[in-house]
Parts: sequence; structure tokens; C-alpha cells
Amino acid sequence: MTIKKILIFAPIVIILALLQSYFWVPTYEQQTRGDPQRLRDYITASIGDASILNPILSADSASSQIESMVFEGLLDRDEDLNFRGRLATSWEIFEEAYFYINHHAHVPGLGKADGRDIVDRIKRAKARATTFSPPLKTSLELIEKITLLPPGERVVTRKEKDPETRKDSQIRLRVTAPARVKLILKKVDQNLFQNLTRLLGDEYFSSFRAGAYVGAETPAKEEKITAYAKDILPPTEHNPVLVFHLRKGVRFQDGHVFDANDVKFTYEAIMDPKNLSPRIADYEPVKTVEVIDPYTVRVVYKRLYSPAIGTWGIGILPEHLLNTASRKKEALRLGKDPKTFSLRQSRFNRHPIGCGPFLFRQWKSDQYIILDRFEDYWEGPANYKRFIVRIIPDLLTQEMEFYAGTLDNYAVQPHQVKRLKKDPRFQSFSGTSFGYTYIGYNMRRKPFDDVRVRRALSMAIDADKIIKYVLYGQGERITGPFVKQTDYYNHNIKPVPYDPQGALRLLKEAGWERNQEGWLEKDGKRFEFTLITNSGNDPRKAVLAIAQDAWKQIGIDVRTDILEWSVFIQERVDKADFDALILGWVMGIEPDLYQIWHSSQTHPYQLNFVSFKNKEADRLIIKIRQEYDHEKQVQYCHRLHEIIAREQPYTFLYVAKWTAVLDKRIVIKEVEPDGQVRYEKITPTKTGNYTFHFNKWIKLPQMPEFADEG
Amino acid sequence: MVSFIGRSIIQKTVTLFFVSVVSFMIIHLAPGKPSQVDPLNPKFTPEMVERFRQQFHLDKPLYEQYLLFYRDLFTGKTVSWKDNQSVLKKIWERFLNSLPLFLVGTLLTWTLSFPVGIRAAIHRGGLYDRSTTFFSYLLISIPGFFFAYILIIFVVTRFHVPVIGMETFGITSGSLAHQVMDRIWHLLIPSVLGATGGIAVLSRYVRSQMLEVEGQDYVRTARAKGLPPDQVHYKHALRNALLPFVTMFGLILPGLIGGSVIIESIFSWPGMGRMAYEAILARDYPVILTVNFVSAVLVLAGTFVSDLLYMVVDPRIRL
Repeated sequence: MTIKKILIFAPIVIILALLQSYFWVPTYEQQTRGDPQRLRDYITASIGDASILNPILSADSASSQIESMVFEGLLDRDEDLNFRGRLATSWEIFEEAYFYINHHAHVPGLGKADGRDIVDRIKRAKARATTFSPPLKTSLELIEKITLLPPGERVVTRKEKDPETRKDSQIRLRVTAPARVKLILKKVDQNLFQNLTRLLGDEYFSSFRAGAYVGAETPAKEEKITAYAKDILPPTEHNPVLVFHLRKGVRFQDGHVFDANDVKFTYEAIMDPKNLSPRIADYEPVKTVEVIDPYTVRVVYKRLYSPAIGTWGIGILPEHLLNTASRKKEALRLGKDPKTFSLRQSRFNRHPIGCGPFLFRQWKSDQYIILDRFEDYWEGPANYKRFIVRIIPDLLTQEMEFYAGTLDNYAVQPHQVKRLKKDPRFQSFSGTSFGYTYIGYNMRRKPFDDVRVRRALSMAIDADKIIKYVLYGQGERITGPFVKQTDYYNHNIKPVPYDPQGALRLLKEAGWERNQEGWLEKDGKRFEFTLITNSGNDPRKAVLAIAQDAWKQIGIDVRTDILEWSVFIQERVDKADFDALILGWVMGIEPDLYQIWHSSQTHPYQLNFVSFKNKEADRLIIKIRQEYDHEKQVQYCHRLHEIIAREQPYTFLYVAKWTAVLDKRIVIKEVEPDGQVRYEKITPTKTGNYTFHFNKWIKLPQMPEFADEG
Repeated sequence: MVSFIGRSIIQKTVTLFFVSVVSFMIIHLAPGKPSQVDPLNPKFTPEMVERFRQQFHLDKPLYEQYLLFYRDLFTGKTVSWKDNQSVLKKIWERFLNSLPLFLVGTLLTWTLSFPVGIRAAIHRGGLYDRSTTFFSYLLISIPGFFFAYILIIFVVTRFHVPVIGMETFGITSGSLAHQVMDRIWHLLIPSVLGATGGIAVLSRYVRSQMLEVEGQDYVRTARAKGLPPDQVHYKHALRNALLPFVTMFGLILPGLIGGSVIIESIFSWPGMGRMAYEAILARDYPVILTVNFVSAVLVLAGTFVSDLLYMVVDPRIRL
């Protein structure tokens, strides 16, 4: 019977044809030890693929990992998190400050004074600065130059939208600005004007009436003009200035020389609304970027904003490849409209060129990205020849590939740490991450508006046990909103102790007492609320159950709910419709807490969704983002940390610890000036960053022995 | 016949229109926004969110968005919000990656199920039948990812050869034959995994169909005529038992674009399923909607093909 035969033999033939391919496949042995090239490749894995390889456009970690290799910024942070020059060799920060002459103000000892008198007074005061009180003295001593700018007249137009007719209209304003004093300061001084009031009278700046100098040419309401006037003629203005001196002789990976125009171009590309850069908020405070000469760039800011320095770590784009002319050419070649063709459409995003240590070679979507070492890298070429990121979405397969030697590192999951740390084949590194997990209380609702209640809730939860059992010990307590490795974090603050009895005492003070059934009650109402979190995050889910149980133990009736992420955010967090929630924040190194903790950010869709409001905290938050002096910043941060820890708007639970393992054969290779090669063990920096010296890494054929090792 | 084809095309176009409207509505009504309009990043200012909304036409009324989207789709101008790549190009690339997996998987399913099922039906109640029943239910009930892990760990630790990805990573040298065989090896395990469920289900179907036909009068007649058993089973019974499978064959067409998220993720296979899944997570509407539309077209085309096939194989049916 032929049909029978076909039915039996077809599958057998197919299966045999498939199985025989096994004999053609290279084994792991051939791929690793059998391949001498393998020692010169560094292969790492990523869960997700990169999206856009352009530092000003991407917002995902997979892309930024590649970008950090291909592109180079003006500066970055060194082992101790201080700024370190990269494409910039050095930079200066000083300030240009302005204020308008207030003809109506009464100046002590002068009466109504014009510009020359004021300049004179400040100059004379500076000459005998030592006789003044210390704050004013420091401010005066910082002044380097005083100039009087003559009054001027100009016309300003403002666009506005009619809220009813939704039509755009223009208002023309005639501004007759009074004379203005310009002060150049050696250092940024946020207290300058406050201190100058001691010389010029308390009301000198605050009583300046901008509206008097602005008139409308087109009909407009009086209040509107005053509002615009305040914006056009601010009584005082701080303009911090950042001057970068660029490194000479640095080349892009296509051989083109890097200069100041590239920096200016990168800034302009970010600000170009057509490019839709997610980085735009970082650069919004910039007033101008000027090219002084090919190796000097001068950045002037509109206002005090100290986190601005760190933003210059952004990868610098090559102007010659992306400027308007080349973009136009590309658009025409692709048959697209040059007018709407933005950086987002450019081929550059999949074939990036920067000044970094590795140059782009190949990208296969969802498979791998290969970078080659850049031989002309300004700091000398890296030891590895290639840097490869393989996209492996599954952690178990990542682990298998790591054991097989086709991956060089593996990010260990908490439950594996104990086992893998001891494995003699690997070297392991660990550190605390930059984010923390917390329980946030909606302070708009009772009884969470009472600090005693919030504190009691925190005291009832045993965070150490959560770390021990949920995170397998891979976590640390945290007491406030700053990154634990930075000096902004106040280590003097003790975590809230686990003390259910103490919690009950505090609740009693607040009026909550246990009834016969054991539930806490106040005015006949039971203490009950709902604790929510998002689905898909196992540690949070575990914390949810633990917190519910811990609070039940002291008589609080807690219900829980787990919601899909977007429902959670859209319906609950954004609309502030929750009692308490479990969430986490990922922090940057910069201590700017404005969006999350300032009282102005408590509206729907803003990030202070717990509605934390504290006047002193508000002042400190503003002061921190305006302060350019690190020591002072640290001081303010410690105080802010104290306030937040005392107020307990969140129960700060933990920061997770990460652990990574590397093949032990990977070491640091240093070549001494006399040509001698020295191998060193890889040591992490103070903040736990073990890839800091990546460019010096190399893999040896045998496991090295280090003399200093016990 | 011609009138049937004409009618069916008109019907299917109308269905397609409704599918496009419904899928568009569902995606826009579902909670969650594209990641670019995600407000939980402190760096995103309201102005930027507004600008992205404009760029993506999210500020327009829904019907206008619908028209804009399908205009772009039919002129081939749709781009992914994630990386600005052309959606059709992306789908085509992924389709080519998923295609071999689908082909080998289907081939294994359809070639293995029939002998297994037929034998079980012929030796009904015997040891063979019982054990295939047992294994079928075992394979249906084992979660795919678990089975995949077991297989990977077994092959990797026992044979020390790579199994993930579309090809062995980092080996570029080697003859063409080596490269082809390498690809086939990497196809083997994921497609076997993809086929297991199919084999288990389909062989059950084959068995029950065969049993049903074996009980018919004409089979008894054939047997009574003194025909050899093989001829009774494979000629008289099998041919009639095959009829329902013709329709099923048309319905596997949509599988072309489906892909399997789990298998593709575990095996790092850059296929359709993974792309669609990631697009859904990122609320990348153009990609989701295009995949949705293409699969709707394929489903309709599949039913159309199976209708036609049915007509061809079963002369009793006139449409």
C-alpha cells in the first residue's frame, strides 16, 4: 500500500533530515576555546533590543548602553561621582547677574537713586567689603565687574490663544526698559540679590513695577499686560555661564575632527521641536550656546539650575553628517519631503557615528549589535577588539549561554546570588541600585494626613524581614529619597524601627483605639483602607501581602488590589484616587527632587501624587537646584532628607542590590610606559560600578593568579 | 462558482472593514498610552507630551485618526512610533524569520499526526492507543515554556551545542553547507516545541475521524467484500476521514503571522510574535494595528481557501 508507506516514511525522513544537522553544528567548545578570536570579544546580553541609536532621541536603557560606547560627552562622572572632563578638558562656571534700576524705591542713605548712584554704592561697598556682615561680604567679594547698561526701547510680540474662539492672536508690547546693572561674579551666588538688599533697601527688588515700563500697541487687558511685563522685565536675573574648553585633536569615527560646532549642533538638535527629543527638558534652561573659537563653547543659562552641568554628558553628534544640508540630501535621496524630514527619520539612528571608544558595525534587529574598537580613540584604543550585545529576552537562556562561555557576564537574580558568588569560575560584583521601593500614603485623605498615623504604619512593617525573605537578603534599608551611594544621602538618619506596640501607642495618641473585635476605631469608624500596586512585579506583590498582614495584626482592616500597570497609573495614580500604594522610583545622581516632592507638583498627572506639602522642604528643594556649591548642596540635602524622614509621606522600604558575575579570566591590562604589561584584578568603584575601566579589560586564555590574593 | 467567489469577496471586505473599526476602537479605548506619552517620567514636560500627541495625531478625533492610519497603511507610509522604521518593512523582516519556524512546525504536525492517529484508531483500545492517548494529553497539558526549558537544559548540558537564536552566534566562517545545516539545527527544537501541541491535538482528531468512518456501512461492505485490511483502512476509510482536515488546512494560514511569543522569547528568535508583543507593551499602535489587519486578512483568506478546497474535494457540496 503506497499511502501507508508514504504515511510512515515521510515523517521518518523529515525527522532524520532535521536531526542530522546536529553533526554540522559547532559545539560550545569550538565557539569558545577553539576560537582564538573569542578572547578579544566582549559579549554581553540585553533583554530588549535598542530602539534608536541616537543619544538625543533615545529613552531606553538598551539604546543608551550602546550609545555610551559609540558616543562621548563633554564630561562624565569619575569613580567618586565627581565630574571628569572627556571631550572637554576643563570648564569654568561663573555668573552674570542683572537687575533693573528701580527709580521708585527708597535706597537707605540715598533716597531715590538713579543707575550711576547705585553702581557707585555697590562699588564703594565692595571696596570696604570686610566691614559688612559675612553673607553680604561674601557676595560683594564675588563681584568682579559692575557695568551700567543704558535704558532701551523695543517691541515685543506675544502669541496667545483665545480660550473661547481657540484662535491665535498676537499682542504687540512696547517696552521702554529702564537702565540695568550687570554684575559679573566669580562664582554662582544664589543669595546675591537677597544680600544686596542690605545695601539697597529691603524693597528695592520686590517693589520694582515692571508694568510701568510696558505698554500695549494692540488692545489688551491691563492684568494681561502686567503679567507679560513681569515676564519680560524681571527685576533680577541670574545667568550662570558655563565655558567649556574642548579637547584638541579628537576625531569622530569617520575621521572628521571634533570641534565646538558639534557641541552647538547637538544642543540645537535637541531643541529643534521637529526632532521631538525626550531630552528637551534638560536643556530648556539654556539661554544661548555660543562658539567662541573652535575649541571654546560658552553656555549661558536663563536661571540658576545646577543639575544643568551633568546634562553635558550627552553624546555629541557629528554636525557634518547631520546638519541641514546633509539632511536635505538624505531626504531627497529617500524621496521624502526635506521640510518634514527630521533627525528621527535619518539613517544615522541605525548607523551612528560618534567620538566614543567603539564604532558601530552591525545591527540585526532583535538578534545582536556589534561594535568594533575605534583605533583613533583619543584616550587610546580599548583592549577588546569587539563589543557585542546579544538580545536574549529570556533570563534562563542567558544563564545557559553564560555557563557555556558565549556570554561574558550575567546579571544574577536574587535567589541565585548565594550559589554563584561562591563559584570559583566566576568573579562577582555587587552594589545597591539607584532606585527604591516604598509605600506611599495619599495625604489628601484621612487619616493619612496625620504624621503619627503614617509613622505608626511604617513602624508596623518589618522591612528587614522583607529584605531577608522577599529579596533573599539582596537589599538594604533606605530612609529617604536620595541615592544611597552619594553624599547627598544622610546616613545619620536611622530607619524607622519595627515596633508594633509603639505603633499602637502612636495610633492611640491619634485617637485610634482597639474595639472589642480587635479592630482600630476612632469615633465609631473602623480604620480601613485599600493598598494597591501594579501587577507583574513579584516583590511588590509580596510586599502587598506582608503589609496587609502586618497591619491586620495591629487591627487595621486593609484590603488589597493588584491592577494592570496602565490602569494603575491612569486611573489611580494620575487621578490621585488611592489610599496607599506600593511603587518604586529610579533616581538619578543629581539631587533635584522638584517634580516628586515640591508642593506645586501635587495636581493630577503630576508626580507628587501623595500630596506632600512642607514649606521648609519646598524652600530647600528650590535651594538645592539653584546651588552650584557641592558642600552647600549636601548640607541642604541632609536637612531635606531629615524632614522627609520625619514626615514619613512614604514608608521607605528598601533599595535592591544587584549582583553581576563575570568570567574570572577577564582582567584589567595596563601597559606601562616602558612597554611592560601588567595585569590587575577588576575592582569596582566606590559606587559599585565595575565596568568603569572597561576599555582596559581583556580576557586571558587561563585564569590568572594574583600575588596579592590570599 | 463565480457568483460564490464574488459574493464571498464582498462579504469578506465588509467583515474586514468592521474588523478594522473594532480593532482600532479597542486599542484606543484600552487603558494605557504609548510610552512616549508616559507621564511617569519626571523628565517629560507637558509640552513634550503634547508635541508627541500631535505628531502621532492623538490629539485628533478618533474617526480622523482612523482615516489617517488606514491612509498611511495603504500607501505604505506607516512608521513605528518606537523607532521610526517602516511598519511594513518590519513586519516583512519578521515574517521571513518566522516563516521557517512555521513551515517546519506545520510539516512536523501534519506528517506525524496522521500515522499516529490512524494507527491508534485501527488498534483501538490496545496498548498503543492507550499510550498515545496518555502522551497526547501529557503534551497538551505541559506548559510550553516548561517543556522548552527542559529541552534546552537537556540538549545544552548533554550535547554542548547552542540551541538559541537563528544561528550559532559568532561563527561566520564555514562552508555554505555548514551554515545551512546550522540554521536547520536551530530550527529543530523550537519547531518541535511548536509542533508538539499541534501533533497531540491533531492526532486525536485523526483518530476520532477514523473511528467514525470505520464504523460506517461502506467500510463494513468493503471489509465483507474480502478486501485486504490495508486497502480498507487506507483507501476506503482514510479518504473519507480526510474531509474535515481540508478545511483545517485553510485555517492554518493565519498562523503565518501569529508566531509564538513564548517560544520566540525563550529561543531569542526574532520573530513576529515577539515584535507584536513588544509593540503591545509599548502601545505602538501602528505596529499593533497593522499586524492585526494583516492577520484579519489572512483569516478571511484562510476561510475562503478552505471553502474552495471543500468544494473541490467533496463533489456533494455546491455553493
